[in-house]
Amino acid sequence: MKFKVSIGKKPQHDGMVSCVGWTVGDDLFSCGDEGSILKWNTKTGDTAAITKLPDGVYPADMAWFPSNVGGRQSASELFVLGTTDGKFHLVSKNGRFEKSVEAHNGAVIAIKWSKNGNSLVTAGEDGQVKIWSRSGMLRSTLAQVVALGTPVYSVAWGPDSEQILYACGKQIIIKPLSPSAKPTQWKGHDGLIMKLDWSSVNNLIVSGAEDRKYKVWDSYGRLLFASHPHHYPIMSVSWSPNGQMFAVGAFNTLRLCDKSGWCYSLDKPNTGSIYSLDWSRDSTLVAGGCGNGHVIFAGVVNQTIEWKHLVVTLQEEKVLLVEDVVNNTKDQLEFRDRVVKMSLGWDHLVVTTSSQCLIYSTSNWNTPLIFDLKGLTTSAILLARKLFLIVDSVQGLSVYSYEGRLICSPKYSGIRTDSLNVNNIAVSSDTLVLVDSRDSRAYHVFDINTGRELTDKPLYHSQELLTVALDQYGHTNERCLGFTDKNNDLFLIQIRHSNPLSKLKKLGGMVTTLMWHDTTNMLSALQDGRFTVWYYPRAVYIDTELLPQSKVYKDAGEFGKNPQIVSFLGHHCTLRRSDGSLVSTAVSPYPTILQNYVSKTSWDDAVRLCRFVKDGALWASLAAMATAAKELNTAEIAYAAINETEKVEYISYIKDISNKAARNAEMSLFCKQTGEAEGTLLQGGLVYRAIRLNIDLFRWNRALELAVKHKTHVDTVLAFRQKYLQDFGLEESDNLFTQYSKEIAVDWTTIQNKINMELENERGK
Amino acid sequence: MDDDNIFDVDDLNKIRVLDNETSTKTAQLKEECKDFIDKIDDFQTIVGGFIDLMDNLSTEVEREKLKAIGARNLLKSMAKQRESQQQQLVGLIHEKKTQLERYRIQLQSLEKTEAEQRDFIDQFILQK
Repeated sequence: MKFKVSIGKKPQHDGMVSCVGWTVGDDLFSCGDEGSILKWNTKTGDTAAITKLPDGVYPADMAWFPSNVGGRQSASELFVLGTTDGKFHLVSKNGRFEKSVEAHNGAVIAIKWSKNGNSLVTAGEDGQVKIWSRSGMLRSTLAQVVALGTPVYSVAWGPDSEQILYACGKQIIIKPLSPSAKPTQWKGHDGLIMKLDWSSVNNLIVSGAEDRKYKVWDSYGRLLFASHPHHYPIMSVSWSPNGQMFAVGAFNTLRLCDKSGWCYSLDKPNTGSIYSLDWSRDSTLVAGGCGNGHVIFAGVVNQTIEWKHLVVTLQEEKVLLVEDVVNNTKDQLEFRDRVVKMSLGWDHLVVTTSSQCLIYSTSNWNTPLIFDLKGLTTSAILLARKLFLIVDSVQGLSVYSYEGRLICSPKYSGIRTDSLNVNNIAVSSDTLVLVDSRDSRAYHVFDINTGRELTDKPLYHSQELLTVALDQYGHTNERCLGFTDKNNDLFLIQIRHSNPLSKLKKLGGMVTTLMWHDTTNMLSALQDGRFTVWYYPRAVYIDTELLPQSKVYKDAGEFGKNPQIVSFLGHHCTLRRSDGSLVSTAVSPYPTILQNYVSKTSWDDAVRLCRFVKDGALWASLAAMATAAKELNTAEIAYAAINETEKVEYISYIKDISNKAARNAEMSLFCKQTGEAEGTLLQGGLVYRAIRLNIDLFRWNRALELAVKHKTHVDTVLAFRQKYLQDFGLEESDNLFTQYSKEIAVDWTTIQNKINMELENERGK
Repeated sequence: MDDDNIFDVDDLNKIRVLDNETSTKTAQLKEECKDFIDKIDDFQTIVGGFIDLMDNLSTEVEREKLKAIGARNLLKSMAKQRESQQQQLVGLIHEKKTQLERYRIQLQSLEKTEAEQRDFIDQFILQK
């Protein structure tokens, strides 16, 4: 990846350019020290003067109103400008000064809108940080820097808009908005910190300072990366909106860096110091305000994506190169407009340009399916088996089929479309899951075909969700969502179950990244320094003891610190190390074959395969799959193979039950689904068994309730209760039981006869 | 010369107011003056030419001087340019090196995977 830098022939500003800002559309506004505000059209490269500041007033910082806040798009047509006379101004798109507010003693150095657009933060030369309402009313003075008069050079909002990050001298300070909360403060650099930025996508902080270094921090202030000292002080840093990379500006220097800190490319344009950097909303272009009056534009090119045998590279802004490494063929795809996003997978390449969406099938590169896009700023494309999802940071989500048909545009109330990214969206052919943008503990589940939410309220988890992923195969009703939360615990939930939270199961802790397999429902993850594959994660709903057995792992030491799983295709899993190199690891091909047999219900083949491979994990997954399919013979063999004697015994007991409902109920019971088992029995009219089930589980009240309700076997329940109390030497403490035992006499012989009769009846059914 | 004899007659019998001697001397003076004027004129043209020459020379020198300064500055800036170019090239080398390192790691892992798969195939064939 690198920058393609373009810079005008002669500077358009007479003074240095102190700030730049992108509009919702593809226009850039720049403010120069001579007091003029220019608008740049990136398509044509033309500039137009918007307005002029009064004499003696110099701009210091500007910020456009966030693009989409609850659909109030008209409000986004204004920006705020901080000036050296201590004021900030709300300025409309056509240059009209709507409002000017006295804010600080001395200059207003930095100014930022919160992500939700509700408030505004300013930092001044007087060392104060102030929060303002949207209309410019002072809400609070957040920070009074200890050494008064130390200017605050940079300020940024936290991802949830609940915290403020600012720099004071060499210190970096995170201050929560609530007044009682304590700030986090640490020494960041050996020189004055010039610029800070906090990404809302990956929650990382980048800082640049006069000690000529830039550093990357996590939100707890731990140092993740420190650069070599440069030749000049770092003047500006800026995260790309997708959180994948950031740009660094200094004297005659522009760098593109990966989110983990290392540098993709270095450019030495003749610009003077680059005082401010701003990314376009689609993360493809960065603009910089330069010391010599130029405005520099740098487009990100040379991104590469890989899928199976295909490699797609963005050669230039409008040219894609598709390489097929098996046939060694190359195809060049040219586009009318700038390529914004591309995504490859499921036998399709989906490309969005600044106006269109093109769908290529991997078998034919000549005739794409083309349709016009509603939105202009695609922030991500997610592919699923039969459909794909385009995330637009202004327009929201749209789901299309590969035939180019719009399926739905799901949304929930209060959606913040600019916060949507690959970490908080999971999509499969029938279901879509979105993590709530305001409260990341909540997640919304959508049916794709209707585009409506399945539940009235979002589901809540106890912790914030970090990543979500849906499995792609199997029955719609059993769709599983795998997610990791803030504690790095991995959970599995059957998202379309009538009571999903009852199907929430923890698979393991210390999980940093996860990925489903492309053709089966295998799950891979990095867990506590080990690369782990669950052959059949749904085993957690069948027999929790099978879960650890159906899991294989290998040491992930070779993948370095904190790798991310990029793809899990066929028998390969590809991981991206934090230094950017891709490493792959092989996964046994047998589970895929096994799952194929199972999906075709060729149980004999499945058993033969397992016998051939002699692998405990494979047997365990077969046991789980067979039990799930109520295929008792296979389950018996599989359980026998992994030495689970008691389960084999129980299965053979189930096999001997002639009544189908009873058998199913026993299977449910085997999977520890007592509620389900009881339901099945009652539905099948087997009231005695249902009562007996509750008795055996010592759920006396429920047993009595059922007996009374169905007017049968009340005496049986009472008899067993008495026996139980006698055995344990206890006194009757339940009023209900004392009441009934007074009314009904207990006689063991009649009870025994009744039971035998019931079993006889059952056999007759 | 007699006082009453106001007029004088010269050798060519022409009447003259001035006496002969004065007249010849005057004429001589006149001649000399003329000569002098001529010489001064000459001198002036020569000096003028010289001044022109000098002026030309000075502009020439000025130009050369500027040229020299320019060249020197160019040299200096060239050195700076070289420096920044060098920096960029060093940066580029660094990028390429890290990229190479990345590819090397990728190759290593792929080779490892290949070896694993070969083992797997061998095992598979042997088992059958």
